Amino acid sequence: MATGDRVDLLERYQHGRHRELGLTDEDVRRMYEVMLLARRLDERMWILNRTGQAPFAISGQGHEAAQVGAAWALDRERDWIYPYYRDVALVLVWGLTPRDLMLQLLGKAADPSSGGRQMPNHFSSRRLRIAPQSSVVGTQIPQAAGTALASKLEGTGAVTLVTFGEGATAQGDFHEGVNFAAIHRLPVIFFCENNGYAISVPAEKELSVPDVADRALGYGIPGVTVDGNDPFEVYRVVREAVERARAGEGPSLIEAKTYRLLAHSSDDDDSTYRPREEVEAWRQRDPLPRLAAYLKEHGLADDADLQALEEQVRQQVDDATEHAQAAPYPRAEHLLDHVTGP
Amino acid sequence: MGGGEGMAQANNPEPGRDGWTGWTPDPPPDLRDEPPERLLEYYRQMQVIRHFEERAAQAYTQGRIGGFLHLANGEEALAVGGLAALEPEDDLITHYRDHGVALARGSDPGRVMAELFGRADGVSGGRGGSMHLADAGRRFWGGHAIVGIHLPIAAGLALAHQYRKEPRVVLCIFGDGATNTGAFHEALNLAATWELPVIFLCQNNLYGMGTAIERAMRVTELHRRGAAYGIPSARINGMRLLEVRAAVASAARWAREGKGPVFLEALTYRYRGHSMADPELYRTKEELKAWRAWDPIQLFAQELLEAGVVTPEALRRADQEAEQVVEAAIAFAEQSPEPDPATLHHGVYRAPLAAALPAGGGNGVGAHLP
Repeated sequence: MATGDRVDLLERYQHGRHRELGLTDEDVRRMYEVMLLARRLDERMWILNRTGQAPFAISGQGHEAAQVGAAWALDRERDWIYPYYRDVALVLVWGLTPRDLMLQLLGKAADPSSGGRQMPNHFSSRRLRIAPQSSVVGTQIPQAAGTALASKLEGTGAVTLVTFGEGATAQGDFHEGVNFAAIHRLPVIFFCENNGYAISVPAEKELSVPDVADRALGYGIPGVTVDGNDPFEVYRVVREAVERARAGEGPSLIEAKTYRLLAHSSDDDDSTYRPREEVEAWRQRDPLPRLAAYLKEHGLADDADLQALEEQVRQQVDDATEHAQAAPYPRAEHLLDHVTGP
Repeated sequence: MGGGEGMAQANNPEPGRDGWTGWTPDPPPDLRDEPPERLLEYYRQMQVIRHFEERAAQAYTQGRIGGFLHLANGEEALAVGGLAALEPEDDLITHYRDHGVALARGSDPGRVMAELFGRADGVSGGRGGSMHLADAGRRFWGGHAIVGIHLPIAAGLALAHQYRKEPRVVLCIFGDGATNTGAFHEALNLAATWELPVIFLCQNNLYGMGTAIERAMRVTELHRRGAAYGIPSARINGMRLLEVRAAVASAARWAREGKGPVFLEALTYRYRGHSMADPELYRTKEELKAWRAWDPIQLFAQELLEAGVVTPEALRRADQEAEQVVEAAIAFAEQSPEPDPATLHHGVYRAPLAAALPAGGGNGVGAHLP
């Protein structure tokens, strides 16, 4: 079913669904705060790129609700994530800070993910159980199955969340990773942030089925499609998947339909392949104003609160930017560090 | 679906539900509607393949064939029935269990045997051996040794036909184990998305080497995997020649009409080990015996006799002819010379590459080219 047909979801927003799902008012305020921080950080990254300070920027704008909804369903003290490059909001929930992200963007020595070696948005943290990633699309999927196998063997009860775009689901890595996890009933959640384009290739030219979730049929696992711009729906279906995974029932494939509001990356001009009307239509469904409206409607925040939050987030982004700008680059004599193991 | 109300689909849906397939293969024809000489020829071809492989196994254990040898005893009906459904201008590509397929495509048994022997007259010049038979003149693009790797190639062949608007189809044969490789996924996805004229014929012999299918995939009814790509799919009895022929023919018709790929899962069994070096500790003798009762050749002979379309005498004559063909093939292979060492580099690069290099071979790269 096309995402455009899911208009009834907007109506469901009117009914304070977060409480039905067991989310507190504070949860919802915090979800919004992370989404806003992710958005403003992302915007700053583009400015730094366009002013020649950052070599590259790759955007998660538009995906924030999907990421935050999924993250909220997991246990941040125990579970593993295998994010991909759009997951700014996800890794912020998981404990990376705006300073961490800006240090990586500018390639500084103190970048916790790679000491200034990786491209922007290639997150990792051993401490926070954020697995490092390759730029090669889809490689994290079998790796996540491997981490889930380890959790199963060690009996830790940990669940692994691995994220990727719909383009990655056409990769062989996807097939091998999901098949293996299905056979061995591994505690892993395959979370596809389907934004309709693999760089410039529209989904109908890369997928032979209407929904990525249909692919679950070939593996004998549950497949769920959800509105990725609705953080509560995403939370609900991911939480169900987490419950199945912890109960030993194996993996799930979840497809969050969403849209990236900007180009693929700072090296891409999306006006060559996306009609402006389409982008504009999706801007009307931007998850941030939707959740802001929800907050106001349910008395969780008023305009003054939202304004104060904007100011607080701006200060965080300014602080991270200035901190990273002032930080030293890696030293040339450290060039070969981390190339081979100790 | 309204925002993810539970499962997208129940697991393992019924074929034909939800518009996934809407396609069923044609049923096998009545034996009495077929010309008897054609039926006898199918029988003879299957016996040639059976004898050919048994003699090859013998030669292998005697050390006259080197490298690997993977036999397809039990899968003869798939080769003969499947290829009987193709037109000569269609393409064929298969995996390393390829002797029967090559013979059914019409490659000369002597030259195929010579390839197994590694001789100059082999279909691949003695360079490929058992796993790499090929016959470009018959549009047979090879046995491929790496599991699953030829599926994207099959999609590429089909793309060429579609691009040139030629009414050719590609028959791509592989085993159950290959369906767990990434290459399978990439090939089926692209073939489905671009509606390429390719028939994916999976020979499900229930084992990927020594691994039973249920240990390698959770969806063991392999044809159901086609649903994940929106490809019409069906399971057929791979031990019944005319059922295979009818299914492949109807799939070819579908593909030739520009409706895209078809995925067929043929249930079959190999009576010998995975390769000559397989002690078969993973399956029971009872299981093997049960499947031997479904021997495609015996089954076909019995059906022919019961329908009264051939005589026992005709079958015996066909048996003798098959043995003669194979003995002649062995004799041809044995008298064929080893490849000349001076031709070692032939076929590695296309000759024009040398012409494109600077005079004198530049830095030495390519200086040896013909």
